[in-house]
Amino acid sequence: MKKILTAIAAFWLISLTACHDVEKWDNDIEGNFDALWTVLDRHYCFFEEKGIDWDSVYKEYRARITPETNSLQLYSICADMLNELRDGHVNLSAPFATSYYKKWWSDYPQNYDKRLVDQYYLHFGGLTKNGLTYAMLPDSTGYMRYPSFSYGMSDGTLDWALAMLHQCHGLIIDIRDNGGGDISTVETFVARFINERILAGYISHKSGPGHKDFSEPYPFYYEPAPAPRIHWDKPVVVLTNRSTFSAANNFVSIMQYLPNVTIVGDNTGGGSGMPFSSEIPCGWSVRFSGSPVYDAHMQVTENGVAPDIHVDLNPDSAMVGIDTMLNTALGVLNRQRQ
Amino acid sequence: MNSRGSNACLKMNRLLIIIALLAAAMSLRAGDRSDSIVRPVLSAYSIEAGSDHLCNTYLTPLHYSGWRTALSYERMQAMKFNPERFIQRLDLRFWAGASKNPARNATMWQIGMRPSWSMLWRTRLPHSLTVAAGGTAAADIGMLYLMRNSNNPVAVQASGTIGITAMAAWNGRIGRLPLTLRYQPTMPLAGCFFSPDYDELYYEIWLGNHKGLAHFAWPGNFFRLDNLLTADLHFGATTLRLGYRCEIFSSKASGIVSRDISHMFVLGVSTEWLSLRAGSRHTPDARTISALY
Repeated sequence: MKKILTAIAAFWLISLTACHDVEKWDNDIEGNFDALWTVLDRHYCFFEEKGIDWDSVYKEYRARITPETNSLQLYSICADMLNELRDGHVNLSAPFATSYYKKWWSDYPQNYDKRLVDQYYLHFGGLTKNGLTYAMLPDSTGYMRYPSFSYGMSDGTLDWALAMLHQCHGLIIDIRDNGGGDISTVETFVARFINERILAGYISHKSGPGHKDFSEPYPFYYEPAPAPRIHWDKPVVVLTNRSTFSAANNFVSIMQYLPNVTIVGDNTGGGSGMPFSSEIPCGWSVRFSGSPVYDAHMQVTENGVAPDIHVDLNPDSAMVGIDTMLNTALGVLNRQRQ
Repeated sequence: MNSRGSNACLKMNRLLIIIALLAAAMSLRAGDRSDSIVRPVLSAYSIEAGSDHLCNTYLTPLHYSGWRTALSYERMQAMKFNPERFIQRLDLRFWAGASKNPARNATMWQIGMRPSWSMLWRTRLPHSLTVAAGGTAAADIGMLYLMRNSNNPVAVQASGTIGITAMAAWNGRIGRLPLTLRYQPTMPLAGCFFSPDYDELYYEIWLGNHKGLAHFAWPGNFFRLDNLLTADLHFGATTLRLGYRCEIFSSKASGIVSRDISHMFVLGVSTEWLSLRAGSRHTPDARTISALY
């Protein structure tokens, strides 16, 4: 009996020492700050590309914390620290606010006026389904506006839209102010503009906590939409601005290499890191870029994709009902028509 | 005349001897029957409920705590080839749970199932004690789901392992109530388990990158100790099972640590039953060899 009890006790002892360690932080001002900094230190993916010295950032912002710092002040300090990452995919979410970095678009002209397009080009017409607005412009140019890849896109809607525009000589895809969404919707769209399997890009991920710990980039491919889905093989212009971000930026990074496609407008906003989430002891959640996505030429597009033809929206022209960016796109397609 | 009579006597004697031998043989077979063995199947159905404390660094660096509940079916039977010494055990469990982070503003859900099969060698000790030890094979599939996360909301947990299990059982009485107490720990020793890389998104796996997802399991990187303590109270043909289960799990692969410690109370019923085929030679005086009782 003694031996049996000894064996059971030994078994329990082994089990108590067998668990792997997980670092813990105190749920106080310092502990939460340290937890946030550590989460980013171990998981954020663009330190090297952006040349950020994260240890220096820690010293600078940790020094702002005093025994008198309250939760609101901690939030403000943490939000400022996260802004050092210059990344629109980084958010700190507390019960009273969510921080986000804005300079990827706020430092540049907006270059988009929805009312301008609706009033002077669509005449408040066009058809809208699943977030996609499409219409034929007076000179037989097709126009599609897709404000977000979060809507989800059905193949049926795309079939209808492309069928309705099949008489057009060219197509403008206006994704100005498209802040991204579901990356699988990008594939649904691109599949209508390719006739063979294409290399769409590469994806990588952090393979460890070090700033240089990354997996080998993995190539991913897109297939053309299967028959009898409708394809578009005439000229295309993709219209962009600085608020073309995340999945929309990814869409541009793929479309730019297709033969019939011209990118017109402003540099896109970037956001090529697939967001990851974590949290800190006080319950605030943090989102950040965790997996870099590269284009088909292994270029990082975190800072955006440059257009083939750069053009801004002229405010004076806008006042008289002219969208200079849209007009440039129309000109590109008309020249290709000739 | 005499010689004819003596011949007849001889024939009669031979006949009697043959009948006697046949009778002896028959009685021998009858004796065999009295030594025949029946191996009842012990079936137990239980519900379990209790607390859970878990952490998965792929989803969050924080420790969550909450509840966990399970349904389990256990089947035990002495083996046919050596019923006194060997028993087999089949265990099937389904569980679900929900846990909260320390700030209580996020919920992590979990579901899973585990079928396992074990074979144990046993020996009976004085004082109605039985001890047993053997091998076990188990498969696990489950997932953790943290609703607040964006592209990393799920951690799939899957493994196939072989390991060891042991049992110490005592059959006795409390007053006039027959009782069986049992302690059964189970621990995997080797196998393989699934884990994504450090920050690998399931989207990347979905795209086709399956490199490095399977990991060799050994107690250093995949530790699980399932402690089951049961008290079976025999009320006639039906047995009430009360118990406690403590499961300690900890794994580490690709820098991802997953820990889960649960304490659950067990409430169930068990019964022993026999499966008899038509033409079975078992008799009421057949010897019964139970796997546990």
